[in-house]
This record gives sequence, C-alpha cells and structure tokens, in this order.
Amino acid sequence: MLDAAPAIAVHDLRKLYGDNAAVDGLNLVVPRGCFFGFLGPNGAGKSTTIRMLTGLIPPSSGSIELLGMRLPEQELEIKKRIGLVPDESLLFDRLTGAEFLEFVGRMYGLARPVARERSRSLLDLFELLENRKLIAEYSKGMRKRVAMAASLIHHPDLFLMDEPFEGVDAVGARLMKDILTDQVRRGATIFLTSHVLEVVERLCDRVAIIDKGKVVREGSMDELRGGTESLEDVFVRLVGADREFHELEWLK
Amino acid sequence: MIRAILRAQWLSMRTFRLASSRRGAAFSLLTGIIWYGFWAFLAVVAEELTRSAQLREKIQAGLPFGLLGVFAYWQLAPLASATMGASLDLRKLLVYPVPRRALFSVEVMLRITTCAEMLLVLAGASAGLLRNPAFGAWRSLPRVLPAMALFVAFNLLLSAGLRSLLERLLGRRHIREVVVLLLVLVSSLPQLLAISGVPMRHFRQLFSASRNPFWPWVSTANWLLGAHLGSGAAVLAVWTALAYAFGRWQFVHSLRYDVEEAQATAAGAKEPSWTERLYRLPSLVLPDPLGAIVEKELRTLSRTPRFRLVFIMGFTFGLIVWLPMALRGRPAHSALFENFLVVVSLYALTLLGQVTYWNSFGFDRSAVQVYFSAPVAISRALAAKNIAAAIFIFLEIAAVAAASTLLRMGISPAKIAEAFLVTAIAALYLLGLGNLSSVYYPRIMNPQRVSAGGAARRTQGLLFFLYPIALLPVLLAYLARYAFKSQLAFWAILALAAGLGAAIYAMALDSAVHAAHRRRETILAELSRGEGPVVAE
Repeated sequence: MLDAAPAIAVHDLRKLYGDNAAVDGLNLVVPRGCFFGFLGPNGAGKSTTIRMLTGLIPPSSGSIELLGMRLPEQELEIKKRIGLVPDESLLFDRLTGAEFLEFVGRMYGLARPVARERSRSLLDLFELLENRKLIAEYSKGMRKRVAMAASLIHHPDLFLMDEPFEGVDAVGARLMKDILTDQVRRGATIFLTSHVLEVVERLCDRVAIIDKGKVVREGSMDELRGGTESLEDVFVRLVGADREFHELEWLK
Repeated sequence: MIRAILRAQWLSMRTFRLASSRRGAAFSLLTGIIWYGFWAFLAVVAEELTRSAQLREKIQAGLPFGLLGVFAYWQLAPLASATMGASLDLRKLLVYPVPRRALFSVEVMLRITTCAEMLLVLAGASAGLLRNPAFGAWRSLPRVLPAMALFVAFNLLLSAGLRSLLERLLGRRHIREVVVLLLVLVSSLPQLLAISGVPMRHFRQLFSASRNPFWPWVSTANWLLGAHLGSGAAVLAVWTALAYAFGRWQFVHSLRYDVEEAQATAAGAKEPSWTERLYRLPSLVLPDPLGAIVEKELRTLSRTPRFRLVFIMGFTFGLIVWLPMALRGRPAHSALFENFLVVVSLYALTLLGQVTYWNSFGFDRSAVQVYFSAPVAISRALAAKNIAAAIFIFLEIAAVAAASTLLRMGISPAKIAEAFLVTAIAALYLLGLGNLSSVYYPRIMNPQRVSAGGAARRTQGLLFFLYPIALLPVLLAYLARYAFKSQLAFWAILALAAGLGAAIYAMALDSAVHAAHRRRETILAELSRGEGPVVAE
C-alpha cells in the first residue's frame, strides 16, 4: 500500500507570515520514480515548500504525505527515507568532508564502519577524498558536492533538493546529474528547484511552476512546452513579462 | 557615508528585532535593565563621592585611582571576558569607495559598545564634581566637560587600536594561544607581584599623582580638579594624539588582514592519530546518535578559535591563581585555599558556558537544521551537546588538578574527587538552564572571531548575577560544612542538591525539547540570518 502511494502528496498547503502567504493553497502530487522540477521566480515559495516537506518549518494549514506517510505524525520514519540538499548550508564548518559524511551517516542510523566506508566512496566519487581541509575552507561548489554526497549516504527513496547545482562547475554538475538520473532509474524520486531552466528541461519528467505561493502550471515537459516553446518562454510568460529598463535614463 | 553605514546597521538590527520573538526581545531588555541598572547605581555612588566639599582632599587623592580603574576596565575587561564588542565587517565595506577616515571614525564610535557602563560612571563623577563647591561647582563646567570628553576620546582611540591588534593576533593559528597566555599573565601580574613579596607601596608610588603627573588618569584628574590645569590638559592631549596615531595605524593594518589566510590549514594536513582516538572515545560507551553528536561536538569545538580561547583562559587563570602560591610555599589553610580547586572548577564551568551550554547551537549556525531534518529526537541532540560540554569542563578540571599535583600543592585525591563531584552537580543546574536559553534565545556565533560582541558581554553580565542563584544548592552544602563543622551535613546537603539538580535538569530538558519543536522555525531563522555592516554577535 505504502509503495503504491505517490512520493509527495500535498493538499491545500499554506504558510502564512502575518498577512503574507508565502505558500497559498498548494496542491501537488509527485509520482514515485519521477524527476520533478519545481520552478518559480525568486520569493515564489519554493524553498518554503521544501522546508515544510522536510519538517523544518510547520505549515499554517494543509496536509503533507511523503512516501505514503503523514507529516508530522510519522516524522522520524519519513526523515529516514529522505535525502536533503537545502538552500541554507547544513554543513558543519569545523569538520572535514569525510568527518561530516560519517557523522551524517550515523545520524541516519548507519553503523560507523558502514558510514565510514560509504563516506570514503562518496568523497572519491566527488573528487574530495584527498582534501583534508575543514569544510570552512571549501569553495561554494565543493560545499554543494559534500551536501549532495550527504544526501546520498543513507540511500534514500526521496530527494528534496533546493538549487543543488548552484556554484558547481561543469564537471561536478555533470556528475551530479548522472548520479541523480541513475537514482531515478533505480526507483527513487527527485524533487528539485533550480533557476537553470536548461538543466530542468533536460532532466525532469514533470514540472510545476509556482508563483506567489500558488501552482500556476503543472504537467509533463511536453505538455508544458506544447511542442513550440522552450521552458524558458513558458516560464517567463507565466510568471512575468520583460521589464522595461530603457525607461531609466541615467542608466543609458 | 558614515550615516549610510549606521543606517544600514540600524535597519539590519530592526529587521532582526522584528523577526525575533517577543520573548527574545524581553530577555534582551531584561539583561539591559539589570546590567546597566547596576552600572547606573555605581554612577550614583560616584556622584555621591565626588560632590561633597568635605571630601576635597580625599577626592584629590582618590580621583586619579578612580580614573585608573575606569581606564583599566575600559581596556582590559573586553580582553578578560573575551567580548570585544561590535566592529565593522570590513569584508562587506571594502568593496565601496569609502574613505579610511570614515571607516575609522565608525570603528572608534563602536568602541562605545564595550564601555557604555564606563560612560555612565564618568557621567556620575562629572555630575558630582559640577555640584562640588570645593572645585568651583557649575563654574567648573568649561574645565570638567573638555577634560572628560578628551579622556573618553583617549580611551576610545586606544581601545580601537588594541582591539584591531588583538583581533589580528588572536586570529592567527598557533600565535593566538601564546597571545592568550601572555594576556592572562599580564592581567594577573599585580597579583603575582603582590604574592611574590613586592611591597604595595611600590605600586602606590608608581601610580601616585604627585610623583607621576604624566599618566593619562593623573593628568585628567589634575585638569578636572583645576590643579596644574595647563600641564594636565597638555599631557592628556598628547596621550590622545598618541592613541589616535596608534588606533589609525592598527586599523589600517586590519584593512589588509585576511582572516581566512591566517586561519587556513596546511594542504593535506592531518591531525595526529591520538586526537582522533580521543574524539572517538565517547562513541565506545554511547550509542548513536548520541555518540555521533558528542564526537562531532568534540571535533568542532576543539577546532573553533573562540572556544579554544575560552578553554585556555579557564585553564590558565586556574593555574595562575595556583602558581604564585606554589612560588611562595604553602599558604595558611584558609577556607578559600582548601576549596580552591572547587572554586577554579566552578570558574571553568561558568566561563565555558558562553561557548557551550548557554547557546548550544550558536556555532552550528544554519547547519542546526541537521538536527531537525535527520531522524533524531532533538532531546538527543541537546543531551549530546551537554555531555560534550561536561567532557570539556572535566578536562579543564583534570588539567588544573594535574598541574597542581605536579607543583606539589598537596591536593589530596579526595579533594580532586570532591571538585569533580561538586562541579558535576552544579553543572546539572546550569546545563538545564542552558538548554532553555539555547532554544528560547538562540543567536549565531562566528567561530572565526575570537571574541563576542557587546550584547554578549551584557548577557554575560546578567549570567554572573544568575550564577550565584544556580550555584546556591552547592554553596549551601559548603555553608553547612563550615556552620556545623560536619562532613555529614556537607554530604547530606550535596546529595539533596544532586537529586534536586537531576530533577531540574530533566524538567528543563523536557521543556526545552517541547520549545524546540514549537520554535524550530524561529530557531532556524535566528541561526541563518545575515548581518549588517557591523558585526555585533
């Protein structure tokens, strides 16, 4: 029964900050084994939605079901099966990459030898094995790689990723994309936000576009593009027109 | 430009205040009222002492020492408490075409954050002098006002220079530990000299107004009281000019200072294997996730410059208190001496609080979300952080006890065991309160910076009022020992204190866990927020 349930089922989800609705009656169903792109302009409510899905912040109203389990009732069970790459850094700056990965593995219930072995393999994969510096000294791209490795270490069924490719070089981004595609192939679900629409266009099966806390369009990639437009054209048309900057005389 | 910088800071603070909880704001207000209320009281005392015409001679003799006290507090208290106040975040401002003079002016003004209490005391003393007919009462206004203003300027400029210098020195790997040791030695020099037999009259002569009119506090006093008016003003003006030159020089050096370069580890550097084994020890007895979090805390804290500074201070202050006694031979068996290891241990417990239990998630910053997103109960995270804090506190006690034993201080194993036990019992109360403070009043701490900001100092001030209350059950046990001259009374009350402490710790942890769930959004927001152009942790 649980395996038949969608990876994500969100009903009438709201998050209010005073009178301002960051997420305003969101309804969303993400099937299992789907590579799902969650798009929207800055401040549309993408990160807030991911934070609610991970239990980091409570919703004002609405319901969330992940992998057939209800949040917050089955919070710990859900968390065990989620891999998270958030927008804010979740890395402890005063650990090395290897120490951090081993720590995360143990937090997800892996025995220390297993966590250490997986940590080594992942660091090797992300070309960070030889780097014994503290995470505080990592570049932005290296930090993202470690965050991605941390989301993989416990072999989750659902990945929630907020701008996972931000700051990552082309080689690293290709590697991350290949890994994610492979995860989908084995049956995992990816739910990611990204402002790089070409990446979303190439990777995702389905896409939802959110604006001002509401889903304004959802469907498969082909349904969205309609055969003639690019994803960027659709996105700009749905969430905002070109700005007329020529009016600023002093900028000329 | 100065106004733009200050406005940006005001807006940043305003945004933060709006976002933070009412409870946090209330706590902040409470700390402010208690701390500055205490100093306002001292200002009233200063006013009372300086306004009486009958005390003319005493004022003449005592004012230089009072100003010396103000000077010492102004310059040394930020070092002793490792809270050097707010400062400009130059990394955010150097990209703009702001003249150095403007940046330096703001930096000097920010030194007020470390000494607002001294301004209160000086204002009290000034008010007293202006009402004292022996020194001309209100007619002395044209003399008192510029003298006080220049004395304040001198202190501000000097503290700006010292702060820049120390921030750079303490930011450098390997050098900072040596600097801390030197600072501790310097600050305890008077005690070392006094105990080593140097007569006190030498100190008095060194600082006496009649013999040394060139000290800034003496020249200020001379100017304020109308004695040697011209020379007093001239000497203070020279001191202020020197402080300005020193402050500017150090500030310009800081502009070129790269904190990340100074703290970078060598490529491929690996810690010795024995430290690795030490970090893993708790995991031998504690199951995961408790063991994993304790291990992570031991690693991260021991690599955090700010924590290391405080840890070294706790250890060295403890030792420096012992060392003069060792040099002098065994002192009389006073109550203080007999319980000195306990006193030093409790001092270490309170000092380490600012970097461990009072704000457990401060160094984690936005990474605190790991505890909320991983399948781990938050109670485990808090308990693990408490265990890690306790390990460091016991390491500190063990180090002081070992050094004392090496110095043949005659500390019995029973006394060492007593120090550990008493500290453990006191820790139950403080860790319980610390857990509540960590979830109700979380704030980011920058692990790179070795000192805390001005508000942190005020909070510490409040904590020093709270510590006696938290330590009361343990103090009662000692009171019983000396009042009844009975070991049985001591151990009986200590056992009661332990039971009560355990109950309070359990209740506080439970309450903190509920609050953490309820307030997780606020906690994450507080620990992920950005800062304005002024760093004021």
